[in-house]
Amino acid sequence: MSQKFENLSVLVDGEHCASTSSSSHVLDAVKNDAELQLKWKSYHLIRDGLRQELPANINFDIADRVAQALEAEPAILAPKKTWRDLPLVDRVIPFAKQGGQMAIAASVAVAMIIGVQQINQTDANQPFNAAPPILGIQGGLSPVSFDQTRAMPNSDGVEQRRRINAYLTDHKQQLRFKTMQLSNNESSILDQNVQNEEAQSDIVENSPQ
Amino acid sequence: MLKTPLNKIISRVILTLLMTIFVPMQAFAQEEEPTNNTSTNSYPSDSAQAWLAKMSDAVKTLNYSISFILLKPGVDSQPYLWRHGVNEDGLEMEQLNLLNGPGREVVRIGNKVSYFEPNVPPYSLQSSIINGPFPSEFFQHPEKLMLGYEFIMVGRSRISGRAAQQIRIISKDKSRFGLNVWLDQETGLLLKMNLVGQDAQLLEQIQVTGLQVTKEPDPFFAKIEPEMLPEVVSFSPSSAINSPWTINYLPKGMTIVKRNLRRLSGLGEVVEYIMLSDGLVDISVYIQDRGNNKPQNNLVGTLQSDTLLTIEHGELNITIIGKLPANTANAIAKSIQRIN
Repeated sequence: MSQKFENLSVLVDGEHCASTSSSSHVLDAVKNDAELQLKWKSYHLIRDGLRQELPANINFDIADRVAQALEAEPAILAPKKTWRDLPLVDRVIPFAKQGGQMAIAASVAVAMIIGVQQINQTDANQPFNAAPPILGIQGGLSPVSFDQTRAMPNSDGVEQRRRINAYLTDHKQQLRFKTMQLSNNESSILDQNVQNEEAQSDIVENSPQ
Repeated sequence: MLKTPLNKIISRVILTLLMTIFVPMQAFAQEEEPTNNTSTNSYPSDSAQAWLAKMSDAVKTLNYSISFILLKPGVDSQPYLWRHGVNEDGLEMEQLNLLNGPGREVVRIGNKVSYFEPNVPPYSLQSSIINGPFPSEFFQHPEKLMLGYEFIMVGRSRISGRAAQQIRIISKDKSRFGLNVWLDQETGLLLKMNLVGQDAQLLEQIQVTGLQVTKEPDPFFAKIEPEMLPEVVSFSPSSAINSPWTINYLPKGMTIVKRNLRRLSGLGEVVEYIMLSDGLVDISVYIQDRGNNKPQNNLVGTLQSDTLLTIEHGELNITIIGKLPANTANAIAKSIQRIN
């Protein structure tokens, strides 16, 4: 009895590589033995625990639940044959469909034309558009101010990207210089408390000349 | 039930393996404050600690030539050649060469690291480590990780056609990414390394494609003339600064390794710079008084495997970059306070 458990344990530990035939024997045994299947489950759980590979939330019997869900699933029957399945109708339908699509496309085009006309009409009715345009000032200023409001967030994004790139470059550089700094002056490993005593600040630019 | 004698032996081995995993973990848990002179020999020979000690020893003492590919999300794969040798005087020589494109080569002779890169005149730094595309500090001093990380032996598998031992390295407070390393059973050298996120998604991978360990150093090293290497760049020593800010939250095992005021090249703005390190990842923290600067948008994102977080916090703009989860970066940023 314990013999077969031992074989299983060996297999689970992945140390069964010596002979593939014996491992397939164990696998066959597991397939036909409910007790071994239980052991199989617990051995794997133990192994995962030892290797700290356990997931955050453990679902012990997923297989059972999947099986239950499958049983509860309503059976899907094959669809019945309809008149559409007749050979001749099959060939006619594409033409009919194409015609339908054409009609839809045409109607969309019409709708667009109508929509454009409507927009133009409402535009003409707007009070500020109807007012006589002030020459010079309005035409001259509005595009500039529009451009500015647009450019502001844009330059912010560019500015931040530039900043991030500078940080990234500096990070890479620091990694390279790290060990050297350490070997040069161990005193740079300072506690904040120690630093408080020396009230001096220097800006260091670490770049190879 | 088939039972061969071999079978029996294997199962015995499993049992002893299980025991050896448990024992060092307990021993390790008791030793919360690792001393500087931790003798790794005290660990059982098949513990994770012993394996990592074997790795760091091999990395420093063997003559090897390793080809590996570095994979990061969103960028092309980067093939590297990594050679290391120790000459008869005991001088360590190391070369790291990016094989695609115009090339990028780093040569280390003893404590001098020389960089040859396109568009930049070659220069040298005084350092015993190439802080390159892989965490060299971890390869050479894995014991530095003990404070913040747990080492777990996982099992054996086959990597790059060789028998490999897998070790999982996870942060004790789950605040940083985890690492999976596969070490060569025979030499202890690295065969594969995965940086994995908190949901076990792959963030960065190093896959070794060729590994040769030789008796003599590679002939390449004999051709290097140490006098011809570029001059060591000297920096004005950074003086201590009196910062009004303090970081209240640091992930377990993480310490401040560098702190100064810097003028960012390209921007010309002065920021306070803090580097945090736990021996595996290095994090940059930039603190800037908002002053009359324009307000900036709070941003969080990942660039390849680096996380970038920039937030407004009180009167400060804080930016954090490094290989750490965004949650942790946010917690660090939010914990920055003025000293009373």
